Amino acid sequence: MPGHRTKGFCASAVALVLCALAAGCGDSGESVGGGKAVLRYTWWGNPDRAERTEQAVALFEKQHPDISVQTSFSGYDAYKQKLAVQASGGDAPDVMQLDYRQIDQYASGGVLLDLAKQRAVLRTSEIDSGLLATGRVDGVQYAIPQGRGTETVVYDVKAWKDSGVPLPRAGWTWDDWAEAVRALRDRTGKPGATDPGQSEDAFEVWLRGRGKALYTKSGGLGFTADDLAEWWTFTDTLRRAGVVSPAEQTTQLDGSVENTPLGRGKAVSDTNWDAPSSGYLAIVPTGIALAPMPSDSDGTPGQYFKPSMFLGVSAHTGHAKEAAQLVDFLLNDQEAAKILGATRGIPVNETVRKETAPLLKDFDRTVADYQASLEGKLKDPPQAPPSGDNALQTTFQRDYDQVSYARMSPREAAENYVTEAKAELRS
Amino acid sequence: MTTTTAIPAGKKRAPAATPKRHPKREREGAAWVFLSPWVLGASVLTLLPMAVSLYLSFTDYNLFDPPHWVGLRNYTQMFTEDPRYWRSVLTTVTYVVIAVPLQLALALLVALALKSMKRGKAFYRSAFYAPSLLGASMSIALVWRAVFNDGGTVDNLFGTGGWVNRPGWALLAVALLTVWQFGAPMVIFLAGLQQIPAELYEAAAVDGAGRWRQFVSVTVPMLSPVLFFNLVLQTIQAFQVFTPAFAVSAGKGGPADSTLVYTMYLYDRGFVASHMGYASAMAWVLLLVIGVVTAVLFRTSRSWVFYASEGDR
Repeated sequence: MPGHRTKGFCASAVALVLCALAAGCGDSGESVGGGKAVLRYTWWGNPDRAERTEQAVALFEKQHPDISVQTSFSGYDAYKQKLAVQASGGDAPDVMQLDYRQIDQYASGGVLLDLAKQRAVLRTSEIDSGLLATGRVDGVQYAIPQGRGTETVVYDVKAWKDSGVPLPRAGWTWDDWAEAVRALRDRTGKPGATDPGQSEDAFEVWLRGRGKALYTKSGGLGFTADDLAEWWTFTDTLRRAGVVSPAEQTTQLDGSVENTPLGRGKAVSDTNWDAPSSGYLAIVPTGIALAPMPSDSDGTPGQYFKPSMFLGVSAHTGHAKEAAQLVDFLLNDQEAAKILGATRGIPVNETVRKETAPLLKDFDRTVADYQASLEGKLKDPPQAPPSGDNALQTTFQRDYDQVSYARMSPREAAENYVTEAKAELRS
Repeated sequence: MTTTTAIPAGKKRAPAATPKRHPKREREGAAWVFLSPWVLGASVLTLLPMAVSLYLSFTDYNLFDPPHWVGLRNYTQMFTEDPRYWRSVLTTVTYVVIAVPLQLALALLVALALKSMKRGKAFYRSAFYAPSLLGASMSIALVWRAVFNDGGTVDNLFGTGGWVNRPGWALLAVALLTVWQFGAPMVIFLAGLQQIPAELYEAAAVDGAGRWRQFVSVTVPMLSPVLFFNLVLQTIQAFQVFTPAFAVSAGKGGPADSTLVYTMYLYDRGFVASHMGYASAMAWVLLLVIGVVTAVLFRTSRSWVFYASEGDR
């Protein structure tokens, strides 16, 4: 009997080991051996962008039967946190969508691959050289811009028209804006806009209108506590009067359109980037429109064209060539461009842009027309923000939370922010 | 026991030969073989990371560049220059003071009710225990957020406008999620209650003690070791609360930092602001504080925890 047991034991042990080996081989066979290369591709965005991206990726897989792409996406806040954790663990996805704010940190941290080395499969000749340069750090092309975007006042067309308040026009000022949202509140009973006090992006537009910037050329803070206190006093006064959305609404903002007051039907307008505003279409049934951001009272525009997002490849990818092929496909392929439209901003590839422009429809058309209306009127974009900025965006929202819940005066919160920002930028 | 009878006659000499083969060393070897998974796990997954974290707490480390030694700066910055740190400490202490007593009281109450039940005990025990199994999951925490959000169930019932968006109420919503998971201490209480000899109650009843008197003079002292065990365990867990606060505030510790508990601020410093050194320093302070709190609990336990064996001394 003991003998039998031993044999049985051996047999099962051998079986187990074989199973493990087989499983192991199965995995590695897929990724390294002659079989398929598996790429992980992640991005942030809304369901509309997800649907189109999935279609484009399916087409890529059809064209490259030896490559399989695993995709995943989430809202911006969650994406930002998850990617930071993955990147620090050396487990960044093979192909990742990046924000202007992430490039400096990720590039200097050795997370990103030098894309110039993949020139054989990744063409950049048809991208505007100035735009392309925004993806460079210390002369190395770590990321490639995917589209061009700009801030916008996005509004519920029907509600605004029905209210009888004059529609926003080019060149309107922040005072005009405040007057309009006040009138909207009076006539519709709903706040006229999302409280822009929490948005660092809106603050930047306001600040640039006054000839200042978030950061100096050397990466220091480009404004004082006085500037921020003035901005927050402006928004705080409107919020207290019920003209913009209340604190309970603003605190729920997380970068997704679904959680904005406009998306929940609790405000008439919002400030956002133009491309992601397509997400409102599904949740604001009466339709939306885009208006330029308000200018300073002397007419200086604060908004600018920004590379809306970038594509980067992990420095630790086992499939550099395949990853570069996917990037090339997403940027330069004619068919892919037709599917993707303007969901990540207007395409950067000049030929693609020209050829797809007439094909753009629905909201993509709206974004393209909106950008065309601003062409030549805006000032140059600021240089890429310093690495500490990534955390400061969150700090900005948190400090404004203290203002909107009336726990601090705009002045106190502004001083807090400036102290924290200076410490963050030093380290 | 039966070895001698089981060994065939021919092999009777075999046991005599074994002592020469250093049985002690052999047994030790076997022990290490069997222990190895644990030893490996403990050293690679616990001790090593702890050592690294201790080292990092004296450095400035942004996850990407190599760590840079700064001595005690993280600790001094924490205690003297970071108001948000102290706010997170206060939030955590408030949370512990609300959640732990509420949870233990509820667990004991339900355990008492279950003990006196005649039928369906197993069903209710499982039903009340289920939240402890489910509660730690993100999905339940998200449901919780939806329930307490504006337009959610609580808002519809009481017209409170949703708790999770009101700084004064959000922490209570987080605490309730923990309290709701009272199943684990409840099961332990139930086991403790069943250990109390029925004679004690009979004797008390003969002496004319009512139900309340029996509870105070028999149940509580007899249950005190179990109560103490639950208290220590739940306090330690409460200090480390993360998931409910994270989910209920959608990862932000808001509104207005009202649910920014210690571990969430630690997470924020480490993974959002990329200050791993600072986050590690925070983790070590938390470890020390939990150690001190546990020691204090043990010290006070001498005056109120009653062990049956003490009567023998």
